[in-house]
Amino acid sequence: MPQETDVTIPVADLDHPPKPPVFGERQRFMLLLIAPAVAALIFFQIVPILTGANASFRDWSLHDPKLTWVGLKHYIYVLTDPGFIWVVMPNTIFFMVVSVAASLVLGLGLALILNQKFPGRGLLQTIILLPLMVAPVVAAIMIRWMFNDQFGIVNVVFEAIGLPPQPWLAQRWSAFSVILLADIWLWTPWFALLLLAGLQSLPKEPFEAAAIDGATRWRVFRYLTLPMLRSVMVVCIVIRSIDAFRTFDIVWTISAGGPARSTELFSIYAYIEAFQSMNFARGSAAAMIGAAVIVVLAMIIFRVLNRWVEVSK
Amino acid sequence: MDLSIRAARRHVLSGLAAVGLAAALSATAQAQTELKVGYMKHPIQDASLDMMDKWAKANNVKLTRVPMAYNIFMEKVTATLTSGNDQFDVIWHNDDWGQLWEKWLEPTDDVKGMENMSKWPLDAFWSADKKLTVVPMAYTVGTFFYRSDLIKPNEVPKTWAELVSTGQRLQKEGKVKWGYVGGMSFNNTWFSFWWTMWSNNCDIFHPLFERDAAKLKAGGFKAAIADPCHKQVVEFWWDALKTHKISPEAMTSYGRNEANAIFMAGDAAFTLVDSTHYGDFSDPAKSKIVGKIGMAPFPVGPNAKVPTAWHEIWGWGIPKGSPAEKKKLAKAMLGAMMLDEEGQVEMWKKTGGPPPSNKAWAKIEAQDPVFKQLKNAVFDQKPVAHSAYYFAEWPAVHKAYSDTVIKALTGKREDIGKVLEEGAPLVSKAAMN
Repeated sequence: MPQETDVTIPVADLDHPPKPPVFGERQRFMLLLIAPAVAALIFFQIVPILTGANASFRDWSLHDPKLTWVGLKHYIYVLTDPGFIWVVMPNTIFFMVVSVAASLVLGLGLALILNQKFPGRGLLQTIILLPLMVAPVVAAIMIRWMFNDQFGIVNVVFEAIGLPPQPWLAQRWSAFSVILLADIWLWTPWFALLLLAGLQSLPKEPFEAAAIDGATRWRVFRYLTLPMLRSVMVVCIVIRSIDAFRTFDIVWTISAGGPARSTELFSIYAYIEAFQSMNFARGSAAAMIGAAVIVVLAMIIFRVLNRWVEVSK
Repeated sequence: MDLSIRAARRHVLSGLAAVGLAAALSATAQAQTELKVGYMKHPIQDASLDMMDKWAKANNVKLTRVPMAYNIFMEKVTATLTSGNDQFDVIWHNDDWGQLWEKWLEPTDDVKGMENMSKWPLDAFWSADKKLTVVPMAYTVGTFFYRSDLIKPNEVPKTWAELVSTGQRLQKEGKVKWGYVGGMSFNNTWFSFWWTMWSNNCDIFHPLFERDAAKLKAGGFKAAIADPCHKQVVEFWWDALKTHKISPEAMTSYGRNEANAIFMAGDAAFTLVDSTHYGDFSDPAKSKIVGKIGMAPFPVGPNAKVPTAWHEIWGWGIPKGSPAEKKKLAKAMLGAMMLDEEGQVEMWKKTGGPPPSNKAWAKIEAQDPVFKQLKNAVFDQKPVAHSAYYFAEWPAVHKAYSDTVIKALTGKREDIGKVLEEGAPLVSKAAMN
């Protein structure tokens, strides 16, 4: 007969059941995996944005930060600065629209070519993607010298074909064209790459049916390829528009916003206020206003393009 | 068994000896204090650092050079200074931004050798409590360079009109592509607008040539850029670019690099730039005009009778955030540089940078005709203008000025007056923000 022992068997406290952990083991593991990225995001994105937002309401010159609260003073300055309203913002939106539209059209064209089977396609694909591997500042320095009026290759070609050499960077629209050219050259491969991926993921059946029906290439493109590619295009346009809005490096290197502010974009304006005029607060206010504008613009672009996709369905 | 114990003991002892040696070496290395210098990579700055290095090696100090690009130097170092950290123990200090850093730099009045320095170029570097915040490195002076193989010294233009006529003559003779080239875009204003402005007895604010910020503020920073003397300046450049065509039309977009490239390629007869570029002009690896360069006083505008000049300095500053013992070492090192006359003579020979000490000047002048020429072109000229204003908003004023005059040049000639009238309040506003 077994000896009786004094063992207390734990009884579940039905009135106060133990709380289940907020995150299961799987969730905790997933959180651990994303923790480094979240930490980087907080320290290198969120904290600087909050610091900038805080600075925009204070007397915060870079050389003598008093940090006193000044309310909306810097926002009022920026929003009543004729240069910001009538030059910088129109320039920025013009740059964004032209650069994104041209890169999209050219990228789509390249994607359609690369979607065909032909000898040397791999090599051509590599060559087309080369601009993506060049740092924007390097590309901009290269282009600035290509368009140098004395030593640049472009004027050499102009003179060779009997045209007068041009002072490309001395006038507003020629300087703007050079900037746009650089940006389009850099970003067209990005569009081409994403749109090519989109093209290659399209189902084959509708195209086979169209071929059987004898549809022309244009009609296939217009009524099949384009509608089916719209969702990829929307994502590309929205991402690239946001990016184009805050372009800095190319413009700074090619024209620094000149001549006489005529190619100045929003990011150049914020930089000049913050780091050349040493008014960090005013630069931050300009950056905050720019951020608000791009959020609104991105929402409008997304809504309009989304409707376009829905309609096409 | 005994043998193996002995062998093990030997290994342990030799290991301990190695650790001890490493610790001793490490202690020696730690005893060597490090001084970090933030500077712009430039032959003159490197030559000045070479002098400091001599002192550092003799005094068991490790001198670490931290080069930075000119374009971000002021912004980067300002952020470092205001954060109060000890990233640098010595930094390059420039007259353009002398007024921005006065709160953040250690007084340097007690550095040895400062008594051998002229007082005029130090105006930019006084703190609010009347202490100096700089130790000079070299003079940086606007210098009018001409091609001595094309023009005899007595043919060098003395007026703007002669600059145009001589430039056009050389262009017509096919000797050069351009009469004059110089930087004109923002932050290169000295090499076109400003030398002609001062040479036309004109300035940016009223009272003309006043540099006391308190007096300028009392006058409401009244801009002088719409004055007739200044309108003449802009009209001169408009004509130079578009009517007389002695300068390339794209010059409005040139920095000093583009202008120097044209001059060094032998394509221009005249330029005006800091004398610190003389070294580049005389470097056969970079220049086609080695040995063909002369220096002369600035040509004078219609509103002036005698040439003017500007001479400022590049210097070194000691951040307040640097630890006390390092500040002391930095002062000793900079003092040694100031007293190193041989080193300063060598710096001139290697780079063309006029050294800070007046005592070194006497030696150089006695042996070097080029220095004599530079002295005549710049240092002997009176009156002298300061090439910047000394208040914190100066960079914003410079930008507002540059935008206005470039806008005037890219428009119609008859609109120049109107553009300057519109720009004058913007220049004043930039000073008062």
